Amino acid sequence: MPPGLRIVIAEDAAIMRDGLTQTLTRRGHHVVAAVADAESLRQAVGEHRPDVAIVDVRMPPTHTDEGLRAARAIHEQWPEVGVLVFSQYIETQAAADLFSLAPAGVGYLLKDRVADVGDFVDAITRVAQGGTVLDPEVVRQLLSAGRRRDTLAGLTPREREVLSLIAQGRSNAAIAGTLFISPKVVEKHVASIFGKLGLAPSDSDNRRVIAAIRYLES
Amino acid sequence: MEPYAGIVLQDAYGWVRRHPRAADGLLAALLLAASAGQLRLSPLSAALAATSVSALLAATVIVRRRDPLAAFAAVALLGAAQLAFGIHPGGGGPPVHALEPTMADLAIAVLLYTLAVYRPRRISLAGLAICLLGAAVAVARWAPVHAAHAGGLLLLAGAGLGAVVLAAWVLGDSMAYRRAYYGELEDRLAVAERARELQEQRARAVDESAARLRRIERDLHDGVQVRLAALAMNLGEIKENLEQAPGDDRTLALVGAAHRNAKDTLAELRDLARGIHPPVLDRGLGPALAILAGTSAIPARLSAAITERPSPAIEAMAYFCTAELLANAAKHSGASQLTIGVREQDGGLVVTVADDGDGGARLVPGGGLAGLLERVRTVDGRLGLDSPPGGPTLVTVELPRHA
Repeated sequence: MPPGLRIVIAEDAAIMRDGLTQTLTRRGHHVVAAVADAESLRQAVGEHRPDVAIVDVRMPPTHTDEGLRAARAIHEQWPEVGVLVFSQYIETQAAADLFSLAPAGVGYLLKDRVADVGDFVDAITRVAQGGTVLDPEVVRQLLSAGRRRDTLAGLTPREREVLSLIAQGRSNAAIAGTLFISPKVVEKHVASIFGKLGLAPSDSDNRRVIAAIRYLES
Repeated sequence: MEPYAGIVLQDAYGWVRRHPRAADGLLAALLLAASAGQLRLSPLSAALAATSVSALLAATVIVRRRDPLAAFAAVALLGAAQLAFGIHPGGGGPPVHALEPTMADLAIAVLLYTLAVYRPRRISLAGLAICLLGAAVAVARWAPVHAAHAGGLLLLAGAGLGAVVLAAWVLGDSMAYRRAYYGELEDRLAVAERARELQEQRARAVDESAARLRRIERDLHDGVQVRLAALAMNLGEIKENLEQAPGDDRTLALVGAAHRNAKDTLAELRDLARGIHPPVLDRGLGPALAILAGTSAIPARLSAAITERPSPAIEAMAYFCTAELLANAAKHSGASQLTIGVREQDGGLVVTVADDGDGGARLVPGGGLAGLLERVRTVDGRLGLDSPPGGPTLVTVELPRHA
C-alpha cells in the first residue's frame, strides 16, 4: 500500500462526507479538508494542494453541475492535483467533456461505487497518481450507443471486454488480472482492437483511454 | 349641439336602466297626469271613482315586471269593463263615468309591450290578439255615437288604436330578441372567460407538477440515494473486515447479501429517479436530447435549433416524448438510422423523430403512440404520424412554449 494520500473531499451531504472521511482515514489516508460547496473546495485545494480531490457534481447553491465546473477549474489551475468527480447519476456527455479537456489525473465515478470500498479506494489512488478512471456504467452506455455499432460489431466479445476495461482506465496489468489472462494476450487484444477501430496505438495508458473515449463518444 | 343631446339621451337611458322601478313609477305618474281631466267631473264621487280606475291602470305599470301576465290580465279586464260599461252605443252620456276610456288606457299598450318582452311569443301573441279585438270592439261601440261623422274618421281611429297596439307588441318582441341575444353574448363571454381561467389553472397545475417531480428527483438523489450509498459503503467495509478475519462464514454470507441488495437498490433508485426527471434537463433540452441521441440503440442524429428555453414542464414533455419515440423505433421500426429534430415554430416547439424503417406504424388505443398523444394533449399539443407501409416513418410532436 502506498503511503497515505492527501485528500480533499467536497460533498454537501454530511453523511457521505463523514463516511468517506472515516473510511479513507481508516485506510491510512489523510483527509486534509472536507467541505460542502464548490467555493470552499477551490480554497481548500489552493491551500492544501492535495494529491486528489473528490468532488460531488451537485452542490449548493444551484445543485446542478457546480462540482463539474469546479473540477475543471481545479484541473486547469493545478494540473498536478487529481480530480475524481463523483456523481449521483450518469451523464455521459459531462464525463466525456471532462476527459476531453484534461487527460491525466481525472476520474468520473457514480456515487454508488463507494459500496465496493476496495475498488473505490483503488480508483482514488489511480487518479492521485495521474491515472484515469471512468465509471463502468458510462463505458457500457458508450459501447451500447448506436453510433459505433457497425465497427464495434467487428470486435470479438473478448475484445469488447478489453475495450470496456481500457475505457475505464485500466492498465494492461489490471486488465490481465481482471480477465485472468496473461499481459501478453492483453497486448495482442489491444493491438487488434486499435487496428480494427483505426486508432493509432499508444504506449501511455492515459492517451489510450482518451483515444478510446473520443472514439466512442464522437 | 348634437353630441351634447346624444350624451343627455345616453345619460337618461342609462338612468332608466339603472333604476327600473323609479322609471316605471315615473311612467305611471305620467299616465295618471294625462288623465287628470277626470277630476273636473262632477259630482266629486264620480271624479274620485274615475281617478281610482286610472290609478288602478297606472299601478299595473309599476308592478308590470314582477308578474307581466297577471298585470296584463288586470288591465285587459279593466279594458273589457270599460268597453262594456264606459261606452254607450245608444248615444248620450255613458252610464258609468268612472269607466270611460282615458289616456291611462295607454297602460294596456305598456303591459302588452311588457308581455312581449318577458313572456314567450305565443303568450304575447295571444295578448296582441286580445288587444286588437278590444280596439275593434271599441271602434264598433263608438260607431253609433259618432254616426254623424264620416266613416273615414272611424277607420282612422281604429287604425290608430291598432297601430299603437301593434307597435307596442313589435317593440316588446324585438326587445325580447335583443335581450336573448345579449344574454347569449354574455353566456358566451362567461364561457370564454371560464375557458381562459381553466387554461391558466391547467398551466399552473402542469408547471407545479413538473416542479414537484423535479423536487422528488432531487430528494431521491441527494437524500435517499446518498444515505443508501453510505449504508452500502458501511456494509462493504464490514464485508472486507470479515473477509480479512475469516471465521464467521454465516455472517459474511449475510453481510454479502445485504451489500449486494444495497447496490441493486441503488441502481434501481437511479433508474427510478431518472424516469421521474432526468437531471440533464436542468442544462436544457438540447443537451438532454443529445444524450438521448447518444445512447440510442439505433444510431441517431440530432439537429436542435432552440433560441429560447421553453418552460420546464414542456422541456420534460419533449424529452419524454423523444425517449418514447426512440424506444418505439428501436422496438418496432427495423430502422438503421434515426433523425431527431427540435425547432421553434409559430411560438411553439416542434419535435420530430424520423426513421428509415419499415413504416406502417399506427395509432392504436392503449399503444405507445396513443399514450404519447394523450400526454401531449394535456397541454394542447398535437401529434402527427406519417408512416406508410414500407416506410419511412415521421412522427411530429407540436408543443406550446408554455403549458
